[in-house]
Order: sequence, then C-alpha cells, then structure tokens
Amino acid sequence: MRLREPQRTPDQAIMAAAVGLARALREFGLSASVDAEHTFLRALVEIDVRDRTQMYWAGQAAFVHSPNQMPIWDAIFERFWDGRPLILQEGGSQHGESDARMQGSHHGGEALPQFGGEANEKVALDGDRQRGDQDIPTAEGEDGASNQEHGILAAWSDQEILSGRENLQYEEDELLALRLLAHEIKRNAPARRSRRSRPSAGGHRFDVRGTVRESLGTDGEAFHLGFSAPTLRPRRLLFICDVSGSMERYSRVLLATLKAAVGAARRAEAFVFATRLTRLTKTLDGRDLEQALDKARAAVPDWSGGTRIGHALGDFNTTYGRRGFARGAIVLVVSDGWDRGDPKILEAEVRRLQLQSRRLVWINPRPMSVDQQPLAIGMRAALPYIDDFVPGHDPRAVAGLAHLIGGLGSDRPVRKIVPTAAGQG
Amino acid sequence: MPGFNSIQEMRNALTNQRYLMDEGLATVVFLALRLRKPLLVEGEPGVGKTELAKALAAATGTPLIRLQCYEGIDVHQALYDWDYPRQLLQLRAGTSTQLYSEEFLLRRPLLEAITRPGSVLLIDELDRADDEFEAFLLEFLSDFQVTIPEVGVIKATEPPIVIITSNRTRDLHEALKRRCLYHWIDHPDLQREVAIARARLPHVGQYLADQVCAFVQDLRWLDLFRSPGVGETLDWVQAFHTLGHNELDSQTVSSTLGTLLKERDDLERIRGGDLDAAIARSSQRAAQLRQGNYQ
Repeated sequence: MRLREPQRTPDQAIMAAAVGLARALREFGLSASVDAEHTFLRALVEIDVRDRTQMYWAGQAAFVHSPNQMPIWDAIFERFWDGRPLILQEGGSQHGESDARMQGSHHGGEALPQFGGEANEKVALDGDRQRGDQDIPTAEGEDGASNQEHGILAAWSDQEILSGRENLQYEEDELLALRLLAHEIKRNAPARRSRRSRPSAGGHRFDVRGTVRESLGTDGEAFHLGFSAPTLRPRRLLFICDVSGSMERYSRVLLATLKAAVGAARRAEAFVFATRLTRLTKTLDGRDLEQALDKARAAVPDWSGGTRIGHALGDFNTTYGRRGFARGAIVLVVSDGWDRGDPKILEAEVRRLQLQSRRLVWINPRPMSVDQQPLAIGMRAALPYIDDFVPGHDPRAVAGLAHLIGGLGSDRPVRKIVPTAAGQG
Repeated sequence: MPGFNSIQEMRNALTNQRYLMDEGLATVVFLALRLRKPLLVEGEPGVGKTELAKALAAATGTPLIRLQCYEGIDVHQALYDWDYPRQLLQLRAGTSTQLYSEEFLLRRPLLEAITRPGSVLLIDELDRADDEFEAFLLEFLSDFQVTIPEVGVIKATEPPIVIITSNRTRDLHEALKRRCLYHWIDHPDLQREVAIARARLPHVGQYLADQVCAFVQDLRWLDLFRSPGVGETLDWVQAFHTLGHNELDSQTVSSTLGTLLKERDDLERIRGGDLDAAIARSSQRAAQLRQGNYQ
C-alpha cells in the first residue's frame, strides 16, 4: 500500500461526512474508491472547507473520472452541501452500516449542515437512480430477469434459423464459428505500418543502432550488419451495425459477432443503432458471452425500432468521430440501407464518415442491386462514398464475414472526389 | 517545489503568464500541486489543456518536459535509451570505462522529469498510446522511480508536477484515473474568452475582441462538426487586426472564416447563413458586456 498519511488530519466530523459522501457516490455508480476517498480527505486539508466552490471542485477532481459522471456528482454534491440525506435505501447495510469510519458523524457538532450526522440516515433519494459509467439499464429483479430474457429473446429469435432450437443459447456450431471469426480477425485483419521498426534480417533499412550495439561486444568491430523493418500493427476495426426492425433477423448473430470482434481485435469498437446510436464496446468487453450479450441487449434502447441511418451516423460523426475514433480505422457498416430519414442527411454523413476512415465498408444483407430497392434511395445517394459495398452478404454467415475482413488488405482504397450536392453554399 | 500558499496566489502567477483559469481549474491545479498528484485534464480540442502545462512551468520557473504520446510509443522513446555511438567511440578510444553507466544514458522525457527536481511533466494525448504503455506509466506515476537493469533504480528526489491530457478517443484505465486528479476543461465563457484574447493580444482593440468572442460563443452553440477553440478565436482576432479592421463586417467574416473553422461543411453552413444578423447579435452582446462591466 502506498497510502501516505495526511500531514494534518481533517476533523472527525468532516472525515465522516466525506466518507458518507463517497459511499453515496458509490451507491450511484461512481467508482469512489478508497484511493479517491483518501485523495479527497487530503484535499480537504488544503482548501477552505467552508467554501462551496472549492469543495465542489476538490470533490469532483477526486471522485469524477469522466464527463458523463458529472450530473451525478452535481446532484449528490448539492444534497451533500445542503446537508440533506444522501443514501437511498432503507436499512440497507451492504455498504457498511458497520463501517468503522462512520462513527464520527454522530458526535459531529459542526456548524455546517453537511458535516452533521445525517449522512447515515437512509431515505430514498428522489428522482431516478442514475448510473455513471455503467448506464446500462439492468433487469429489475433477480426473479423477473430470467422471464424477461425469454421475452426479449423470443422477440428477437428468427423462425427460419431457430426453428426447433433452444432460443436462449448459442449453439455449439455458432460458438465455433464465432471463435473462428475471432481467430481470423487476429490473424488476418488489415494491418498498418507503425512508426517503430524492429530488427529484421530481411529488412531493407540499415539499422545503425543495432549494428553499433552488436559491435560493442566485439571490441567495436562491426561483424554483423543489422537491418530493420517497420513493424505491423492491426488496424482498428470499427463496426456500426443496424439493429432496426428490418434487420431483426440478423441482430442476434450480429451481436455475437460484435462480441467476438471486440474480444479479438485490439481497440476494436462496436456501435449499434436503430433510431439512435449506442456504443457497445465496453458493454461487450467481458469474458462471459451470454452475460455480455444480455447486458448489450439491455443497453440498447431501440432494438428493432425504425431506422434513421443518417442521424445515427451523424451521431457517430459529431461525438465519437470528432474525437478521432474512425481515424485510420476500417469502418464496417452493417445495414440494409432502409432509411426513414432524409436521404440528403444520409449522404452527407456517409461522406463525412468516409473522410475520417481509412476504408469504409458497407455490408448489406439484401441481395439485390440497390436500384431494385424502392426504399433505399438514401443508400443510392450514399453509394459513391463507400469504398467497398458488399451486397447480399448475410451477416449470419459468420465465416464469410471473417473471410471478408481478412481479404480487405492494407492498401488505401482509391477514391474519386465526388462533387457534393451540398456545395452550393 | 513551487510554494503557492493559496489558490489565489497561484492563479495570479498563472495570470501573469497570460493563462486565465476559472475557479474550478484553479482549485484542482492547486490541489494537484499540494497533494503531489498527477492531474488528468480532458476537454474539447483547443480549450487550453496543453497550454496549462506550459503556463504552469513558466509560472513556477521550472522546465517543461513534454512527452507526446502516439500509437506504438515505447520505453525507448519515453524513458531512456543507450547512446550506442558514444559507447562505441569510448570503446574505440580504448579507455576502460563502464559502458553501461549513467554517462551513456540518453534521457527521454520520463527519466528527464524525475532527474530534474520540480519540473513540470506534460504527458500529452495519452489516449493515443497503447494500453501497454499506459500500464507502464501507471507504475511510473505511483513511485516516480525507474529501474534500469544495468544501472539500478533511479528515484525522483522531488516528484515532478504531472499534467496528463487526453482527447477521449478511448477510455483510460480506471487504475490510472484513480491515481490522478481529474478535471474537464470547458470552453471559456464570453467574459473569460475576452479576457484571454486581451491578455494574449494586448495590441488589439477592446471592441474587436468583444465582438469576435461574442460571435465565436454563438458558433459554439450551433453543434458544428468542429467547434472553434480558444486558439482559433485568437487567430481570428489577429486576422482582423492584421487586415486593419476594428470591427466585424460580413465580407471580411466570410473571407477570413477559414481561420476559425476548419471543416468544409461548417464553413458552408456559416457562410450560407445570415452573417449580418449574426454580426448584429454579437455587436449587441459585446455592448451588453461593456455595460455590465462599467456599471
């Protein structure tokens, strides 16, 4: 342990209040670790604890780790500062009613309400129970959960492929196909040259450092000439999958595919959308397939909803894209292109997505050519901006997908500059 | 160790370096200095994350050591490497010295930071580095010591002030965040942005600064693909000044907008909109700002 003792110890009552605050934050899904608690306590010695602003920022620096946790912090801090009760459940004791550090709060005697002893009281906090990083709506109760799973999965399952099968489980052959996919992605996914080079007998670059280093052992005589070659690293794979109503029959396998890909490729990213975009990378990142998929299902609010591809891609572009998620990545969009939104928006967003990505691949399960789809007007508009358009690929054919990813190659796709319709401004 | 006794004292010192911070950032930076914890700052591009480290180094009169992260960065770029050519020369010269000693060590930023007491270490865009590097950094940040097999353990006599920035292209490890203080820097509000513009560009007229900043503040509400940062605001103010304009006019706005917005779609959108109305709005806000100040 590397916990240093604070030079000065904060007042007992303050300490108790701080611990209560941390506990409340944990209750609401913030990872207020003991480290963070300790940091906060040390901070309290340095600042003016009567100053609301200073307290607010010190606490935020210690307990909050990402912008999406801030609303929770704001809400709880406000209650804390006003001296209102923080913890919600009645009589719940899993978080240390028995916590020895809580003792002090009973003999607080502080003038400030937030340092009184009320943090111990357990009263329901009004408003919804919010979650920070884990903003995944979980199933309500233990017993209700399994029933609900049946419900969700039943709605999902596709008669054609699942007839006579147990709906809840992935079949052995499916799991095998997924493992093969993971393997294939690891082995064959497109690579990029990294800035680093490594010693290589077959390399073409003369390795001065390596040669000199070698010659140190032979009294400075260079007996061996070293060569180096650039190292290869896998490119980021970024999946953006349509799980709207028209894609329903594929979504079950698609989700498992995403899980396999996220597990296999370093820094792979998974997004799904129907009317809005949901990032699943973190949700799917776990060992247990079933568990990860359950969580993912719960995390997507609009399974089998209508499709607004343009808006969903726009969401991606303005939030994640802007931060560089798609830079240098192979972006794979899996969608049938049936868009209920404005085709102009779809066109603009696909163009923007292409400009950010190394290669934009669109996998469309519909076999016919785009012209035959009356609804896919947007798709037609977007087509010029897609590097590889793969029609008629059934995402349920996982092996085919693996093959496809492996075959993409590392070359930069040739792109024509398409004059934009939006260029009249 | 820079001895700032109060938040205000530190804030003043940074203001002298023309870095204006709000109360939140000031509190957190002060705590980072006092608790000797690394500070992880995140925020939109152009809100002054990197500038913070530079200003801090200048204000404390210590060297700024910068480690720019990128994919594939490893120990030899971040920590140390051996100076093989010098070793070779030494060997050729025939003098018998220990070849693997501190004398032949190339200090990369991290090693540099722990051997120079009280320096400011900026680890820029950590999210670009790989996971492994982050894990390595974790070790470094908790002990501020480095083990070099041939030399031994080198430990910081005085840990550096560490500022880590990230653009959130991926989530950093929870373990790393736990070791740091965290702060999200927002775009400055109108008053602060004007103050920054005035501090950085003292030769520019007050009215122009007010007007430009008001205009930019409006733009940030528009959900552009890339919102302009403070740096771009400053460039734009400077552009007007250079062209000899003391206030906004729609033609110059249109022709210089590329200083501010770097995305074609954004440019088209703003140029295609009603520029005169937007300028009128920013003039109005600029006037309000002055009234508020002089009341």
